[in-house]
Amino acid sequence: MRHLFAQTLRWQAVKVLVVGLASLGWGLLIPFFYAQFSDVLRSLASENPLIDQFSNFGSGNLFTIGGTITLGLQHPIAIAFVAIFAVGAASLAIAGERQRGTLEVLLARPLPRNGVLLATAAALFVSVVAIFGVLVAGMVAGAAMQGLLEAVAVDQLPLVLLNGLLLWAAFLAFSLGASVSFDRAGPALGLSLAYLIVNYFLEILGSLWTDAAWLQEYSLFHHFQPGEILAGETDPLDLLILALAVAIPLGYALLRFPRRDLAAPA
Amino acid sequence: MDDAAPIISTLGLTKRYGRVAALTDLTLEVRRGEIFGFLGPNGAGKSTMIRVLLGYLHATAGSASVFGLDTERESVEIRRRCGYLPGGIALYDAQSGRDALDYLADLQGASPVRREALAERLQMSDATLRRRVRDYSRGMRQKIGVIQALQHDPQLAILDEPTEGLDPLMQHAFYAILDDLRREGRTIFFSSHVLPEVERVCDRVAIIRDGRLLALQHVGELLAHRRRRIMLRWRGTAPDLRGVPGIADVEQDGSTLRATLEGDVVPFVRAVASPSLEDLTIEPASLEEVFLDYYADEAAPPSAAGGTRVPPPKAVE
Repeated sequence: MRHLFAQTLRWQAVKVLVVGLASLGWGLLIPFFYAQFSDVLRSLASENPLIDQFSNFGSGNLFTIGGTITLGLQHPIAIAFVAIFAVGAASLAIAGERQRGTLEVLLARPLPRNGVLLATAAALFVSVVAIFGVLVAGMVAGAAMQGLLEAVAVDQLPLVLLNGLLLWAAFLAFSLGASVSFDRAGPALGLSLAYLIVNYFLEILGSLWTDAAWLQEYSLFHHFQPGEILAGETDPLDLLILALAVAIPLGYALLRFPRRDLAAPA
Repeated sequence: MDDAAPIISTLGLTKRYGRVAALTDLTLEVRRGEIFGFLGPNGAGKSTMIRVLLGYLHATAGSASVFGLDTERESVEIRRRCGYLPGGIALYDAQSGRDALDYLADLQGASPVRREALAERLQMSDATLRRRVRDYSRGMRQKIGVIQALQHDPQLAILDEPTEGLDPLMQHAFYAILDDLRREGRTIFFSSHVLPEVERVCDRVAIIRDGRLLALQHVGELLAHRRRRIMLRWRGTAPDLRGVPGIADVEQDGSTLRATLEGDVVPFVRAVASPSLEDLTIEPASLEEVFLDYYADEAAPPSAAGGTRVPPPKAVE
């Protein structure tokens, strides 16, 4: 199984390197934006309720360094970086191999199907850890470069990482569940992307439209709160909900994959 | 495992997809050290059978075992001792041929002891193996498929349409490899619809149609009991052969007589042995004719002595 794990990592390596560099750049920029624009935005927001409302993007804002880090990690750019692995690669992990026909050769080896699934999941999770870790590290480095490190509760960063990795593990697990359910990559990728987008839409819609704020509770993104964690207000319920969001689809995938009939590829 | 025990054994094996039956009540045994041909046209259920044996599919009813191991519960151990060449094999395009073989050998957990010999016989040079799979022709991919299935010297090789894409020269090289494996006591389960090659390499064959077993016999037995076409030319009027055992479908056109001959040739040879015989042709029976006979007449498949005989199937779709 270690060969499959290592090979999957090798196949992701170039992507991890490129996306990792981009993530580092994004991470460095976020504290820079905060240092440059938060005062201006704060005064604009105090004069204009509409700007005040739209400054709360997702669970983040540009008024505190914690809020800015949250915003940076919930921004579509950061989401795209991590989703390349947690959603794109994960949804193609089994369905893509099925479609290409390479799963045939793989499963001809003495590998239990769940072993294949877990080795692939582990390799993709390592990629997610790398990208998300670089994003957070970039933000910490950026805060240090802007002289803001004192405002960041560095001792809370492990919890931020745990919270973020649980969020992305939940999307990864869902995508793997989709991947083992389809013979073609398209439906698996489509379903996984739809899950991500619906979660994101509920969170953003609720943050921008007060009447729809209740929708946020139904979004996994709403349970990713680095700002609150950095402010020392960790809600264990958020972690529990995300852990469940990991366990349920992963459990489904582990039950479904070994029981599936794998007919000859078309 | 007992040496006399079958390597593959199925009992009433049935696989259904909803209302469609892909395999119906299939019972057969493959013996140690034989090359077993599994014959049928596209869609007959050949690949379904292989996929059940290797644990890709779960049987709806009946049972199957390989090396005495249950295909449902012990497929990992079965695959440890097997080599499998899927039909229309797909490989990882970004890898070189050698990297693909190394990777698959690593996953197999067995040393690729036969690789160099196989590569040499299939004319896959080091330079070729260093090229990426994406640059390979279909035949070269098939050769890599053959090598990956056999490189770890499996006790049982399951080969689905193994010569697909190979040129005639490579087909013969492949047949020679199979001959060697047979001599070394390896067992080959060989699925094909290329009848001459089955006739050439297999010891026994099973013929299936619509997922049902029609026949299971030695190739020689199947051929021995087939009707052969005969044609003889006579000086003067040809003799009346209608009373000769095994002769049927007699057509006479002056001095030329055409008929079919089934079974023992001695009575026929005695009947035509005469100075007036000018020319005699007896076409050899071919597996193709046997096969076509089974497929041409659903209501009454031809009779043959010995082996498994199964009533003609009903349409399942």
